Amino acid sequence: MAVMTLDVWLYGDLTRYGGDSAGPGYANPKVQLPEGATVAELLTYLGLPTDERGITFINGDLSAMPGLQPDLSHSLKDNDRIAFFHLTSMWPFQYRHGAAMIGEMKEAMFSSDDQGLHHAYDGPNKDERE
Amino acid sequence: MWFVRVNMTDLSASIEEAPEAYKILGGRGLTSTLVAQEVPPKSHALGPNNKLVFAPGIVTGTSAPTSARISVGGKSPLTGGIKEANAGTSWAADIAVMGIQALIVEGFPKEKGKYWGISVSMDGSKPKVEFFDATEYAGKPLPQVFPDVYARFGDRISICSIGMAAEHGYGNSGVVFNDQAKRASRYAGRGGLGAVMSSKGLKLIVLKREGAPGVKIVDHALFDQGRKNMIEALRTHAITKPKGGLNTYGTAVLVNIMNEAGGLPTRNFSSGRFEGAPKIAGEAIFETNKQRIGKELYNHACSPGCIIQCSNTFHKPDGTEHTSCLEYESDWALGADCGIDNLDQIAEMNELCNNYGLDTIETGVAIGAAMEAGVIPFGDGAGAIDLVHQMGKGTPLGRILGGGAEMVGRAFGVTRIPTVKGQAMPAYEPRAVKGIGITYATTTMGADHTAGYTIAPEILGVMGKQDPLSPEGKAALSRAFQATTAFIDSSGHCLFIAFAILDIAAGYQGMLDECNGVLGTNWTAQDILDYGGKILKIERAFNEAAGIGKEADRMPEFMKTEPLPPHNQVFDVPDEALDSVFGDL
Repeated sequence: MAVMTLDVWLYGDLTRYGGDSAGPGYANPKVQLPEGATVAELLTYLGLPTDERGITFINGDLSAMPGLQPDLSHSLKDNDRIAFFHLTSMWPFQYRHGAAMIGEMKEAMFSSDDQGLHHAYDGPNKDERE
Repeated sequence: MWFVRVNMTDLSASIEEAPEAYKILGGRGLTSTLVAQEVPPKSHALGPNNKLVFAPGIVTGTSAPTSARISVGGKSPLTGGIKEANAGTSWAADIAVMGIQALIVEGFPKEKGKYWGISVSMDGSKPKVEFFDATEYAGKPLPQVFPDVYARFGDRISICSIGMAAEHGYGNSGVVFNDQAKRASRYAGRGGLGAVMSSKGLKLIVLKREGAPGVKIVDHALFDQGRKNMIEALRTHAITKPKGGLNTYGTAVLVNIMNEAGGLPTRNFSSGRFEGAPKIAGEAIFETNKQRIGKELYNHACSPGCIIQCSNTFHKPDGTEHTSCLEYESDWALGADCGIDNLDQIAEMNELCNNYGLDTIETGVAIGAAMEAGVIPFGDGAGAIDLVHQMGKGTPLGRILGGGAEMVGRAFGVTRIPTVKGQAMPAYEPRAVKGIGITYATTTMGADHTAGYTIAPEILGVMGKQDPLSPEGKAALSRAFQATTAFIDSSGHCLFIAFAILDIAAGYQGMLDECNGVLGTNWTAQDILDYGGKILKIERAFNEAAGIGKEADRMPEFMKTEPLPPHNQVFDVPDEALDSVFGDL
């Protein structure tokens, strides 16, 4: 089976899942996986539990937010850049409105009642809204 | 409540009862109302007819959390339009507890080159203003000024001042206030209001709060209930809670996020991704501090009563403090926008901006534009530090830079100048994040990332029925965001409560209850939107009368024609959608 190389970026306290850190507060391992492997398979390879990651990007497209992870079965391609953020990171709504998202994320956001116009998608904030 | 009027023509002051009609106005609502009423829109921003207005927010000075903001308003020498810039500082709480609803600086000095200071203290229940010669404090970096002022007036004061950038008359010059550690670091930075204060010959406003009566609260029970809900919301939200995102990494936590999103403006807005971003991000600041001082360092409060505590310090290799506060916008402007990936150099520039009284955003974008022109190469940190010194010293090149990014474009013939209404764009690339682009284009303030911040959850429920990604949906959302934000800027709360109040309905109600408790009003979420909308209309009318109409609500041409890597998008929101933001207000 063909092998692909992924450009993986891990930030903050997720750095520890990336082997040697590349610099203070981040790691940038190049990961080889069988072509077509999913985000879930990449997380397994890294040993990173999916609930420890928050905001996630695939090639600059938003693919997950804390508590909203529609990207687990998203297939990755050779040379994809995947970035995983820790749960204390943030991307306020006003600074991401109109930004690029993977198809699965668009669908998940716009099918929700509030159309994704929030800052956080999990924990006490989510309960409060329901 | 008092209106304190300071006349710099004859060095007199008058203390009047605040008019009843202004009772519900605070912060931006009050500064913009007074500027619109009292400043002729076509007057020169640095001339005798402009005024500088200070107003604390509605709940500022109370025990409402994260609410010690002071609004500063006037006609902007940078944009030519109305301006409100605000800062978090004990100065805000002090002026509020002294019962001063607005301090208005007017007139024009008879003598050039001479600077005055005023000290404001309590004379019984009434404030009292005394003038003193402050010429000795001019021409010096601010760290040489603040300690002398504390030594002269005592430790229990708050200080408002301006730096050398303002003395030079730059469109890029802020009004500075003390932080909790007596640093000159809290800036109402944008739009050149420092130069307006300098044009009045006013160098210092010292507040002595001893004997102040405190802020009157009409309904204590309601206020307390609101305050408790706001505290609870701030303490539980992932972004605002202790050791949450802002307290741990500061606002620079956004550097890596915006970089991965392809929306971090890089090398004068020529790319949305900076290869050096991880080295200058909030995570890197946290880890570098940890290595240098041997322990984890969480951030501090910029002003009394803040729960979020997002202000950081950055430390030198020997562990001593280099600068505070290294914000996302500053880190980006002086870093990524100039192609500089060295935190020590960025920290040095940040500190110099604080010392000279410069707005970090305008400074970084002006230097980025100068790099584009070939004055120094992108990435030249030492050269950029020298340029900031030149701005402080007022060399001819420094003065061009001090005029702001647009002036650099004119002086050097650069076409890629990221400004709206003459003000440099902040750190969110509108070609990658189009929603913010609509706000940049249309806000009365010139390109401003704080103009469209949040919305009431219940209003959001109604809005959500529109397609939020259609141009009409984005425009409607920007309008509601801008109106709600104008209210928060009037309440005295820091905009960072926005995270908690948008996600936690009880937090939003808490903000309403705090304001209703202080004023005795019965505002609902819709009233907030109307209140904010009125402020926007007042500001808009001033700008139109100043000659800044809807034709100025446009993005720079290059953003419509140059695709931005890595997403290779242009800004394609149609003009009609931009016009509808205020057209439908």
